[in-house]
Amino acid sequence: MNALPIDPALAWESLPALFQGLQVTVFLTVLPLLIGLALAFPICFARMSARRGLALPAETFVVFFRGAPLLILLYLVYYGLGQIEALRNGPFWIVFGSPFGCAIVALSLNHAAYMVEVLRGSLLAVPHGIVEASEALGITRRNIFLWVRMPLAIRYGLKAYQNEVVSFIKGTAIVSVVTITDLMAVANSIFEQTYDPFTPILCAAAFYWALVNVVRIGFALWGRWLGRHNEDEAVRAARAQAPLGISGEVLP
Amino acid sequence: MNPLPHSLDLAAEPAIAISGLVKLFGDHRALGGVDLTVRRGEKVVICGPSGSGKSTLIRCINALERLDGGRIVVNGIELTADEGTVQDIRQEVGMVFQHFNLFPHLTALENCMLAPQLNRGLSRAQAAKLAMAHLERVHLADQAHKYPSRLSGGQQQRVAIARALCMEPRILLFDEPTSALDPEMVNEVLGVMEDLATGGVTMLCVTHEMGFARRVADRCVFMDRGAIVEEGGSREFFDAPASERLRGFLAQILH
Repeated sequence: MNALPIDPALAWESLPALFQGLQVTVFLTVLPLLIGLALAFPICFARMSARRGLALPAETFVVFFRGAPLLILLYLVYYGLGQIEALRNGPFWIVFGSPFGCAIVALSLNHAAYMVEVLRGSLLAVPHGIVEASEALGITRRNIFLWVRMPLAIRYGLKAYQNEVVSFIKGTAIVSVVTITDLMAVANSIFEQTYDPFTPILCAAAFYWALVNVVRIGFALWGRWLGRHNEDEAVRAARAQAPLGISGEVLP
Repeated sequence: MNPLPHSLDLAAEPAIAISGLVKLFGDHRALGGVDLTVRRGEKVVICGPSGSGKSTLIRCINALERLDGGRIVVNGIELTADEGTVQDIRQEVGMVFQHFNLFPHLTALENCMLAPQLNRGLSRAQAAKLAMAHLERVHLADQAHKYPSRLSGGQQQRVAIARALCMEPRILLFDEPTSALDPEMVNEVLGVMEDLATGGVTMLCVTHEMGFARRVADRCVFMDRGAIVEEGGSREFFDAPASERLRGFLAQILH
């Protein structure tokens, strides 16, 4: 008898399939993260605009897509939009006709809504005096944004961004409900074939855990590099000596 | 900062001409029609109790505050709401703040390099050379590669002065530059400011450092409740104040 709830032989056999599922999960994480972030910038600017005509639609977008449960959003995009005749015959059917397209749209909209708020909070955290000092130096608004506000906002918002990315990765598991064979779907199908509830699910959990921790380590390194201006002189010197240290001066 | 040769034809024109300046914060009248003219190369100290409008006055000059009435002309450029005009004036005017406001993510050197690189298109090497020259001028060349969080308050304020100088402004505004400093660091900052005063740069300085005002100022201005109450050469200002309010103020701060 095996005291462990998992069957090592099955786990070993499942690895290739799980790896394939993992690739799908990574793909469905990276692409919406990029698209969502790209969407979040203009929406955030609109949200922070003094003009109601811009701020109100942006705020509505955030309220709607942050409020809508991801699963319902995915159903609406996948099953709901397909009901629209014009869309089925239009050029966008390339996107909305495939479960991948729908998943990417739903995940991107969800991520964008969250990122608008992360971005806004980070930009608002930049001390006003520092922005004023840049203005007094005659730096243009665009350059102040690129070289002063954004570099500081990234530092203030890094933890919130990391939280959002980590919960987003795990949130992608719901795409299995629209026929996409991501990591979760692979684990599920192994379960259905073998009636072993523990081995595939625990293996999938380990994969998610590993993925999240790769992200965590990435963020930790990024944060350390960004935070180098707050580091102790001695710590920095020691790190510069270390073979794996992150050193060198680079303008952010 | 040497007097610029091409400004000679404009020499008769004042560096800063302020007339009828009004600034409101909601219902509060922070400045109620202030007139002040600063000649080129003149060193003017503004003092007064807190809330008297002295910071607001100098913040209007480089458009950090929008004016609600009156005119400001800086080196012949009239301040308007137009963004281009505001940028032109800001190129002429450097500013040093009470709380330094250095860029925390950049080293002292990079703090000084940023504006010349972005505004004047200097290369990294050119900007670094310029920045180093000005850091030397404030005696901080050896700290150039440190981040602001590693510098003392006095050092940070001197970096802020060097950062303003790197844009080679003809007018420098100081907004209580030593008020946020520990007492032992005040003199290193005042020393740098006195050095600057020996050059041709126009200085407008909000400060309560009366020793500095006596040594450096060509003229002192006393403000109270949004208006200029008294102004004069630094000697008569301190030794023979005309108004009761200035006498009261000086008695309080000189102990």
